[in-house]
Amino acid sequence: MAGADKGVVAKAQAGRGTVEKGVLLLPVAVALVAGVLVPLVVIVVASLQDGGGAYRETFSSSLFRAALGRTWWMAVIITLGDVLIGTFYALAAASARRGLQALLLGALMFSMWTSVMVRSFGWMLLELPKGALYWLAHTFFGRSEPIELYQTVGGMYPAMFAMMLPFIVLPVLAATRNVDADQLKAARTFGASTWLTLRTVTLPAIRPAIVSAGVLVFVMSLGFYVTPLLLGGPSNLTVSGVINLEMRSANRPDLGASMSVILTTATVVVYLVSDRFFRVSEKWG
Amino acid sequence: MTALRESLGKSGWAVRLAAGLAAFILFAVPALVLVATSWTEQRFALFPPKGFTLEWFGEVLTSKKWLQPFGRSATVAAIGTALAVILGVAAAIGVSRLRSSRAARAWRTVMILPLAVPPIALGVGLYNMGRWLNLSDGRMALLILGQMISALPFVFVLVAGAITRLDPNLHKAAQTLGANSWLIIRKVELPLLGPTILAAAVFAFVVIFDEVVLAVFLLPPGVETLPVTMLRASQETMTPALTAASTVVSLLAVLLLGGSQMVGRGKKGGADAP
Repeated sequence: MAGADKGVVAKAQAGRGTVEKGVLLLPVAVALVAGVLVPLVVIVVASLQDGGGAYRETFSSSLFRAALGRTWWMAVIITLGDVLIGTFYALAAASARRGLQALLLGALMFSMWTSVMVRSFGWMLLELPKGALYWLAHTFFGRSEPIELYQTVGGMYPAMFAMMLPFIVLPVLAATRNVDADQLKAARTFGASTWLTLRTVTLPAIRPAIVSAGVLVFVMSLGFYVTPLLLGGPSNLTVSGVINLEMRSANRPDLGASMSVILTTATVVVYLVSDRFFRVSEKWG
Repeated sequence: MTALRESLGKSGWAVRLAAGLAAFILFAVPALVLVATSWTEQRFALFPPKGFTLEWFGEVLTSKKWLQPFGRSATVAAIGTALAVILGVAAAIGVSRLRSSRAARAWRTVMILPLAVPPIALGVGLYNMGRWLNLSDGRMALLILGQMISALPFVFVLVAGAITRLDPNLHKAAQTLGANSWLIIRKVELPLLGPTILAAAVFAFVVIFDEVVLAVFLLPPGVETLPVTMLRASQETMTPALTAASTVVSLLAVLLLGGSQMVGRGKKGGADAP
């Protein structure tokens, strides 16, 4: 009888649990459908309104093709560069004494807390033809020609490296806690070189964090808008910039939609595939 | 970590020096240059600043041109934050209740998905939605929806992380004592998650306050949030008023976020103390 009671209680609890889960998860499900799924379906429908003509036009547009290549390479280079800088930055912060650690993390957090646009303004003031870099070069190296960096492809890169760096450093720093101190000591005792220890003990422990952080940085770089717009200028648009142009100046919402579909497909597929293989969403955060 | 420090051996100092340089060049220099140009006596923001004046701060803090968009941004961000926190916290608790690990994993994937959707594509989608639904006044609602979605992954990740660090025995103990699920959420989980929820709320507020891409697409002409005003101003000329406004907003964000972290630390420290 006690067993039967238990069964009833368990069932009642399970029933209540389902209601509870429903109440907790249904609102967010509705919000995600209304705020992500529906808008994405809407752009797919908008892009197909003339039977695929928008896609043909998109792919034959040299403006779009140039932007696609520029965006792709920017995302690849920013990701690889930041994975390299960010891993060492995290190792430095993890191995530093308290003062330097506070400095490294403080600079990173302050920067991350400031808006992307404001940070881009900072880079603009550095890169303007007669900006801070010119002042530096003029004062110390006697340069008198203006700096040609603002509104060039090269002008986007330093700022993009800085914007994305925290997204590598923070997850990798959190993962350095998984590095086994005993293994590190053992490696030292047996005389393994710094490089060998790094490769065989430290790196395997932080690799999942590096991969998932890298995937997110890659995906976010593909869709980045403000920094490339402000620093790359109108002749070096990324895909987001071209979409903005089609929507707002060229008055071609169909092309804006088809380009948005292409860009979103790329980012979402990269995210979902790497999530499947590397469990990005579990390692992140 | 000392073991990690020792494992880097003699190359350790080079790694730390390089990181310090990277922090200085990538993070500190652009911020310092921006702040310095906000006190120049010139009419254009240019480094190095000439002279020293607080005129531009005065202009930003008194003129309607800056204050009105600031107020609008604060209102929109407050509403969006409230929604993102309610939905994000509920989702994090809900996912922690799922028995099937596959379902929990799928939910995590979906909750972080908005980060992978390019803001411009979301903006185009919501803009078209507004046109098709003939929502002329409802555009603001779509903006709040979209901005809330952009902050949701951060709230979820922070709170879900804190839930996994809670002592699972608390839940069982409360259950044994006859507390139902809602009572457990209200009396056990929410109080323990308080500092994390506060930190997540502040982060969400700052993310939404700074959001500009969706705002550019969804705000009706003539109505601007602060980032839209700043973006438009930057495309005319870089004025010291613009860099002063940037300085003020950044300072507010740093104070808010730094303050919320301190509160979190303080509370946690108190709980750990025997």
